[in-house]
Amino acid sequence: MTGEPKRPDPEALLAAANKASRGRLKVFLGMAPGVGKTYEMLRAARRRKAQGKDVLIGLVETHGRRETESLLRDMEVMPRRPIEHGGRVQMEFDLDAALQRKPAILLVDEYAHSNATGSRHPKRWQDVEELLAAGIDVWTTLNVQHLESLVDVVQRITGVRQRETVPDSALSRADAIEFVDITPDELRERMAAGKVYVPETARLASENFFKVENLTALRELALRRAAQTVDDQLVAAMRERGVEGPWAAGERILVLVGGDAMAGALVRTGRRLSDMMMDAPWIVAHVERTDRPAAGEGSAARVREAYRLAEQLGGSTVALTGGDIVATVMAYARRNNVTQIVLGKSVESRWREVLGRSLAAALLREARGVAVHVVTEATHEREPRPVRALGLGRWQGYAVGALFVAAATLAAWGLDVAFDRVDLGMIFLAAVLAAGVLHGLRPALAAATVAFLVYNYLFLAPRYSLAIGAPTDFITLVVFWAVALASGGLAGRVRDQALGSQRRAAAVTTLLAASRTLSAATGRDAVAQALAEQVAAAAGGRALVLLPENGEIAPFAGSPSLEALDAAQMAAARWAWEKGEAAGFGTGTLPQARWTFWPLEGVRARAGVAAVEAGAGADQEPLIMALLEQGAVALERSQLATEALETETLRRADRFRSALMNSVSHDLRTPLSTVLGASSTLLELGDKMSKAVRQDLLVSIREEAERLSRYVANLLDMTRLEGGALRLRTDWTDVRDVLNAAAQRVERRLGQRPLSRDYPDRLSMVRIDASLLEQVVVNILENAIAYSADGSRIELAAYEDRGNVVISIEDEGRGVPPAELERIFDKFRRMEEPSDRSQGAGLGLAIAKGFIDAMGGRIAAASPIHDGRGTRMLISLPKTIATPHDLL
Amino acid sequence: MNGAMSSDPRQRILVIDDEPQIHRFLGPALDAAGYEPLRADSGQEGLRAVALWSPDAVVLDLGLPDMDGKQVLEKARAFYDGPILILSARDREVEKIEALDKGANDYVEKPFGVGELLARLRAALRHTGKAAGPLGPIRLGEVEIDLDKRLVTRAGEKVGLSPKEYALLARLATSPGKVLTQKELLVAVWGASHAQDSQYLRVFIGQLRQKLETEPSHPRLILTEPGIGYRLVEP
Repeated sequence: MTGEPKRPDPEALLAAANKASRGRLKVFLGMAPGVGKTYEMLRAARRRKAQGKDVLIGLVETHGRRETESLLRDMEVMPRRPIEHGGRVQMEFDLDAALQRKPAILLVDEYAHSNATGSRHPKRWQDVEELLAAGIDVWTTLNVQHLESLVDVVQRITGVRQRETVPDSALSRADAIEFVDITPDELRERMAAGKVYVPETARLASENFFKVENLTALRELALRRAAQTVDDQLVAAMRERGVEGPWAAGERILVLVGGDAMAGALVRTGRRLSDMMMDAPWIVAHVERTDRPAAGEGSAARVREAYRLAEQLGGSTVALTGGDIVATVMAYARRNNVTQIVLGKSVESRWREVLGRSLAAALLREARGVAVHVVTEATHEREPRPVRALGLGRWQGYAVGALFVAAATLAAWGLDVAFDRVDLGMIFLAAVLAAGVLHGLRPALAAATVAFLVYNYLFLAPRYSLAIGAPTDFITLVVFWAVALASGGLAGRVRDQALGSQRRAAAVTTLLAASRTLSAATGRDAVAQALAEQVAAAAGGRALVLLPENGEIAPFAGSPSLEALDAAQMAAARWAWEKGEAAGFGTGTLPQARWTFWPLEGVRARAGVAAVEAGAGADQEPLIMALLEQGAVALERSQLATEALETETLRRADRFRSALMNSVSHDLRTPLSTVLGASSTLLELGDKMSKAVRQDLLVSIREEAERLSRYVANLLDMTRLEGGALRLRTDWTDVRDVLNAAAQRVERRLGQRPLSRDYPDRLSMVRIDASLLEQVVVNILENAIAYSADGSRIELAAYEDRGNVVISIEDEGRGVPPAELERIFDKFRRMEEPSDRSQGAGLGLAIAKGFIDAMGGRIAAASPIHDGRGTRMLISLPKTIATPHDLL
Repeated sequence: MNGAMSSDPRQRILVIDDEPQIHRFLGPALDAAGYEPLRADSGQEGLRAVALWSPDAVVLDLGLPDMDGKQVLEKARAFYDGPILILSARDREVEKIEALDKGANDYVEKPFGVGELLARLRAALRHTGKAAGPLGPIRLGEVEIDLDKRLVTRAGEKVGLSPKEYALLARLATSPGKVLTQKELLVAVWGASHAQDSQYLRVFIGQLRQKLETEPSHPRLILTEPGIGYRLVEP
């Protein structure tokens, strides 16, 4: 623990908080059938009912015991649900009805029961888990021999292997354990008296399950487990309250598993060791060797199985990769403060031990300060070692070997005839070598044997006899075999290595490609489709991606095609979506589904669910998992991108609104102030003023009213552009007419500024909206007037340039700073301090650009144009195809 | 108030505004109303003009292009204690309150009629003149407030006021016609720690109106400037 032992462990508090809304689990634990667990449970239930609690009996097996049956009287018992599978009907516990009824306390007998095929969960403890999650208190019964981690031990004691098991975590989750105990002798007496008629355990009974020694041992196990669970709860409570204690001994257990039959037993050993060490964290690791061929199918499956078991038993898992097992393991162990290492020793590896080369010995040499536990293999667990298949089919290898030997024989025959005293053995050796290199060990050995026989028969004295003439001939045989062993073994390993790295490279390539495809996909649809395709390709079967739509998950993309799912499939999909656990085929939930559903866990939240057709990609699970992880992140990213886009749009609209507000506030109020001020001055003080002053005030009123009117028109134009309500009335137009009309409109405001016009005699017509263009030119002219001194020139010009008619408007104002140049067409953009502020609002150029864009033209500004002063605005309008002018 | 430097005996009013159109009518209006108008088109120019001419009153637009109007106010207050009137937009309450707290005497909302501006200007010029002299009793209709005697009468009869009610009325009466911000009143009567407790004001102003106004629901003596503060009408 850290320096602040008094602070409650946050995870413990979190667990407590989770518990608060969960139902409470009470387990009646016994050593064997017949001790009276169900009886005790029912009696307790009756007491609760008498206290007014809402007690419901979900399912109780009385096994025909009359005392037990009598306890059911006056109790509410749920009807069972018939489940049909393969023509057989089984009466099972009705989970959905119980969830709907939602009693305060629900009794469900036999925690370790396996549900009939076709139920939602394969195991009853999973049903219970769901009930607890729904906030229902559950009482159940359990015999100690059904505990997953005790399966080996119970088998050793009783010789019977339990098929119905409950993961230890399912018992650790119990909030209360009631140990139902009688002595072994009493139990045997009850059996003898016929009180324990147990059809279920009849087989066990017949195998002397109920021997006193067995019962004593089981009883001890049950007592220990009950005590330990109480212990766990004590530790949890102490942690919750931040009590300093010895629970965290800092132990950390690493369990090394290989792909052999021992994996499961090793995992269970790890769990028991963890129990002994106050629930020390334990990690199950498998080392994949980079210098070795990738594990065979069966081996990989056993490792996966071990991982799954570890997770069920509450351990964590890790896959390690490295060339040197010892170095890899020790590096991991040191990094993670591992104090205990558990590994198995198979019978085959004993000869290595003799040579001091066993893994255990190597680890022991390296592991300073780490305890190493070696578990030996129970012989009956041995399984036949799978035959390693090589590149070609086996018979082909032998055939090729035979061919080589035949060729060598021919060559040797020829040489023998042509020359004297050639060492023909070398020729045959070459054939053996070739067979070994090309086809591995066994064909090479076969070729070596055949080659020796042929060589002996044909060329060694006595010739044409298989009899061996000299003892040195034996050496020839041994050398042949040695060469076959060396070359074949070496070649096989090289080939396997190549295959292994090919497979790894393929996985990496797939992931890389997927990552590229996924990051290239934009939008949720594209990402979902890309993910479905990648997963389908990796699994070699159909795949679907389901995404939430209005809170409900639904198929969204599929490969090779999008498919609808029936209710049963959707139930599994929903489970994966809501609980964040895999569901459907091959999982603990709804395993009869035809698809496997995996949640897509993003960084922030669950992004959706991916489905893979049953049976596809079982060997590619790690790859598929990696793909799903990438897909989830990509989906989340697309979601974020959409949100960001929406936010940006909102932000832009907001900015526009606030700019509009600012503009209205200033540009509407200033002319209004003038109108109101000047008119009230005239009204109240007009008789004290000269005629000239009165005249000037009246002029200012008119000017400001005009300014207001222009401003309102601009605002309306802008709104039309923004709202997309702009409708063009295009017609063949002579730009010169438009320029003249615009000049006319600003004439009075020009003051002393001379306006020159420079038009060619002939100018193509363009198909545009003349009134919009006029407004554009007016806006630009007003801008030119506002930003240039009285008396400076303004020049209006039009000309043709390639396929365009170009309008140029130049002023001699002080120009636009380069930094401003590209922003002058922005809305509400106004340069500081115009010499004449009557233009106002900074909308003129934005509108000009909007209109020109709408007509398919372009507008640009250049500044300064000469002597560091002046601005030139260019409007370019396309001549479309052939203009009437050209046709004339 | 140093008219000796100028040949024009009229009171000089400096208008600081960047809008030429405002000067265009304010100039003739002030002139016709008997003042000498002075013009400044930016904050800098305005500060220079205040220092140079020491005008009798300043009309300051808060929306200036070169510097914040409130900054101009603060800098001017360092060396100028004549009345400063603020021109501000209606939707800028915060700005107005800030300006008043920083020493502005009154404000006029844009757009405004010239009559209103001139009335505010007259009031401002009046009590800067009075503030120097001794305080006499203030008569507001049938109510008389005598700050020297700490006596408030209504139609000749003494009005019983609690100490806080009196303190509040006295603060309003020291500058009749001038708007006082809520913060200013709260700090003056209840202390700086209660500068945000505007509900006190609402309660005590209500009590004062009950005791002094003829028609408390339609006050004529103590006027509310919504969102800004209160002012006592001018005698």
